[in-house]
Amino acid sequence: MALINLAAREINYKIVYYGCGLCGKTTNIQYIHRRVNPAARGRLVSIATEEERTLYFDFLPLSLGTVKGLSTRFHLYTVPGQSFYNASRKLVLQGVDGVVFVADSQVSRLDENVDSYLNLWDNLMSQGEDPAKLGIVLQMNKRDLGSIFSVGDLTELLNHTDSPVVEACALTGVGVFETLKTVCKQAIARSTQS
Amino acid sequence: MSRRRGLVISDEQMRLVDGVLAKLRRVSGSKFVALVSTSGQPITTSPPDVQSDTLSLAALAAGSFAATRQLAEVLCEREFTLLFHEGKESNLHVVQVTDQILLLITFGRETQVGRVRLYTSRALEVLKPVFEGAENVGGDDVIDRDYSREAGEAIDDMFPGQTNR
Repeated sequence: MALINLAAREINYKIVYYGCGLCGKTTNIQYIHRRVNPAARGRLVSIATEEERTLYFDFLPLSLGTVKGLSTRFHLYTVPGQSFYNASRKLVLQGVDGVVFVADSQVSRLDENVDSYLNLWDNLMSQGEDPAKLGIVLQMNKRDLGSIFSVGDLTELLNHTDSPVVEACALTGVGVFETLKTVCKQAIARSTQS
Repeated sequence: MSRRRGLVISDEQMRLVDGVLAKLRRVSGSKFVALVSTSGQPITTSPPDVQSDTLSLAALAAGSFAATRQLAEVLCEREFTLLFHEGKESNLHVVQVTDQILLLITFGRETQVGRVRLYTSRALEVLKPVFEGAENVGGDDVIDRDYSREAGEAIDDMFPGQTNR
């Protein structure tokens, strides 16, 4: 459930972009930062290595404004994708309200996608989260490239929660906001039910 | 459906906490004091304006503190309960209030670390009971179907529907 501050009339939702290294998590966040109304966004914070690989996380706060008298914010995070950063991924997942699993659609990235998906399940379950009850969106990224899996194949491999699926090309922005809208609405709907 | 673990801050908690933070800032000679969740979201600050930088500060401090706890585990230490960064002009002090809440204090050269630590530990004695054992309830009546519908409309308005290829 989100952080609800009744006194300040604020609700904060934490959304985490998850997936294997170089699948496009940071590209999603950077596109959102470029395209969203500057008045509604905060500073984009990236903790990256010198090679611009995410070391710890990227962070972008977005303000939805006031809804029914409640100031509503989304805090977008990415996790580092490389397998040896699992401790960092666990930390970023703490208190998560919604997850975007960014899959690299290329056939050559099959093993990395599956490993990352299983790792997401392991990390969620280790902190007492039921992946089936958490709002997950599966973004199939890099649909513009050749030699990619079909939507059906990727769904079978990476969507055991019957989550919404969005086809995307994060580099050009295709599907980026559709993914964001879907995960935000899902996080709100889940908090209504909880 | 079972309730997922979350954090609901009540009017009563906030009233008690804001007074403590303002007093802590004054007596310790600190510049800025904030209560944030361990998941990186700000709860309240003294002075009270939440700026864009406060959001970044909360996210980074919570991440840094979480990493510190993992470091303790690696070193077979039960826990590191505080984090301190010393700069030329300003310092950052982070301490754990409960398993879901952290206290951040920034202060400059005009005050001493010992003074900040002393008054922070006294403030913790007051802050801990405010949150420990308190039930995270009260959110149900504000997050309802109407909120969900209106928020959905606001999301559609805010995020562009068309993407540039």
